[in-house]
Amino acid sequence: MDQKSAGLNIAIFFCQQLDPDQDINRRVIEKELGERIRFFPLPCSGRIDPLHLMHALESGADKVYVVTCPEGACRYREGNIRAGKRISYTQTLIEEIGLERDRLELIITSSGNSVTIDELARELLASKASVGPSPVRVKDRV
Amino acid sequence: MITAERKPITEIRELLEPYRKVLVVGCGSCVAECAAGGEKEVGLLSSALRMDAKAHGKKMEIKEMTLDRQCVYEFIDQLTDVIGQYDVVLSLACGAGVQAVAEVFPKVHIFPALNTTFLGETKEAGLWVENCRGCGDCKLGVFAAVCPVTRCAKGLFNGPCGGSRTDRCEVDPEVPCAWQLIISRLEDMGRLDLLRKVQPPADWSKQQGKGPRKIRREDQRT
Repeated sequence: MDQKSAGLNIAIFFCQQLDPDQDINRRVIEKELGERIRFFPLPCSGRIDPLHLMHALESGADKVYVVTCPEGACRYREGNIRAGKRISYTQTLIEEIGLERDRLELIITSSGNSVTIDELARELLASKASVGPSPVRVKDRV
Repeated sequence: MITAERKPITEIRELLEPYRKVLVVGCGSCVAECAAGGEKEVGLLSSALRMDAKAHGKKMEIKEMTLDRQCVYEFIDQLTDVIGQYDVVLSLACGAGVQAVAEVFPKVHIFPALNTTFLGETKEAGLWVENCRGCGDCKLGVFAAVCPVTRCAKGLFNGPCGGSRTDRCEVDPEVPCAWQLIISRLEDMGRLDLLRKVQPPADWSKQQGKGPRKIRREDQRT
């Protein structure tokens, strides 16, 4: 079952450099899915902190994505590498409390293949759900 | 600085099992520097504990606080107005801080969330290395600021063991040979003469064997 059909709450942290018009592009999908999807634009994916990811999960996200620029293409050189390390750290942390590592996923976009944030979000929503509703979700946000 | 590492969450969960209202207190000094017990780590651990409680159907109320230093009473006093509202304090300080809070609030249940490890330096971002054992008889002046007590696996005071390979310790090849460093530095400084004097064995009574150590300075006391 794909993630949209599974009714999962999705949080997407993404680097703003990937889609300069992200503010406009994500409005349609935000309207369509309401609170089921939350976008968090970052000046660089390297700005992501494990605390952001933990709070997203704690707030009811079933699946959290962090979308980075392609390898070698980070405007700030190492931001996307740091993002990867922090996601890995947080995955280890959530495993300690019995949550699946897959609830956090790093998406490294490929170079030469620009995609808008809403296109990317639709691709992710159409992908097969690797996790179910989070056991820490107190009540459904929708 | 004092370094520490967080205990596994399974161990912390077991410590907190009888309690429902938890005050998680961090320290903004050494343990913040080694990314174990500062404000951010308080946030991470608290979030993990809240989610863990929800996932297990347990009610848990958690308050997060971070003191500038958890080993100084003037900072610990900041807990006075809140501590009584919680069943237990989970401290992210080093052992000194945990105990200092317990001294100020002896009736409060307080547990450590960290395992205190060693005195060390931040070698680079994310890497902390032990460089002092607190022996109480510092001879760094003789050894070009390389401590043979801590950094020589064999604790040799009068020259290398001869077992090093490519400047690395034969006991742990990941560790630079302390004596190689000592001699290289003294050579650069033109002070190899410092090694002519035979150093006696360390006086370990300055570090251990007499219970907790104390420093008393009357000029600093009121």
